[in-house]
Amino acid sequence: MNLAVLLDLPGALAAFRFSEGGELAAHVVRDGTGITPLTLELLARSCVANLAIAGMEARGWEALTGQAAFQPLTGLSVIGLEWSVIAGRDAAVVVRNRDVSYEAAFAALRRIEGGA
Amino acid sequence: MHIVRQLGAMPGVIAAGEYAYHGDDFSFDGALTEEFVHIVSIMCRVNTLVAHMQSEVLDSFTGQTGLRPVQGWVVRGARLSFCAVGNYFAMVDNREGVLDDVVRILRARVGDLRSEGLPGLYARLGGDVHEALY
Repeated sequence: MNLAVLLDLPGALAAFRFSEGGELAAHVVRDGTGITPLTLELLARSCVANLAIAGMEARGWEALTGQAAFQPLTGLSVIGLEWSVIAGRDAAVVVRNRDVSYEAAFAALRRIEGGA
Repeated sequence: MHIVRQLGAMPGVIAAGEYAYHGDDFSFDGALTEEFVHIVSIMCRVNTLVAHMQSEVLDSFTGQTGLRPVQGWVVRGARLSFCAVGNYFAMVDNREGVLDDVVRILRARVGDLRSEGLPGLYARLGGDVHEALY
């Protein structure tokens, strides 16, 4: 998977790929950010956990309302004070909030999904 | 203009609302029923708490990160997305520009962009913040 595509997004600080079990599989970090592999390892696990929870919520929502518009989920993001973590199904990017475009990040994640 | 009404008036916003961190109070604008928004408000509360917990754990293990405190979260679906910032939420169409505008408005009204003059001003006036600024 070409993580460099994610690092090219405006404001991108780090990008990483993760397994279905939440293990950190690969990562790239921009110099001077102070982001460590441990940080990315924990983020990878939270991405997988949150995708699973969101998948359950989307499935339940669609069953309850009859509104079929969320599944399959393509990603999620957590918006912090200075950074946002934007995750697809098997990769994620950490972006500085000042420059973030959630739509551009989700689109880039879709493009490289599955190792493309 | 109240945030919920402002978001509800934006093209591409299916519904917007406000939920309580404690208790079951909520208000909303858009194409959902009270029963559904009740469930949405519980979901928002839980997901926000989970994200807060994760950022606290991350911070305690790795030192200062830019994720703490958490402002909100986004779920990207096939045709719709859902976002929550502070105690406000919006369900939006995935058409280009909508999600970014909604999150920017919410950050300007209740998040990290509050202290920044122009985004805050445009967010209060209403309209397309992205177009006005960029």
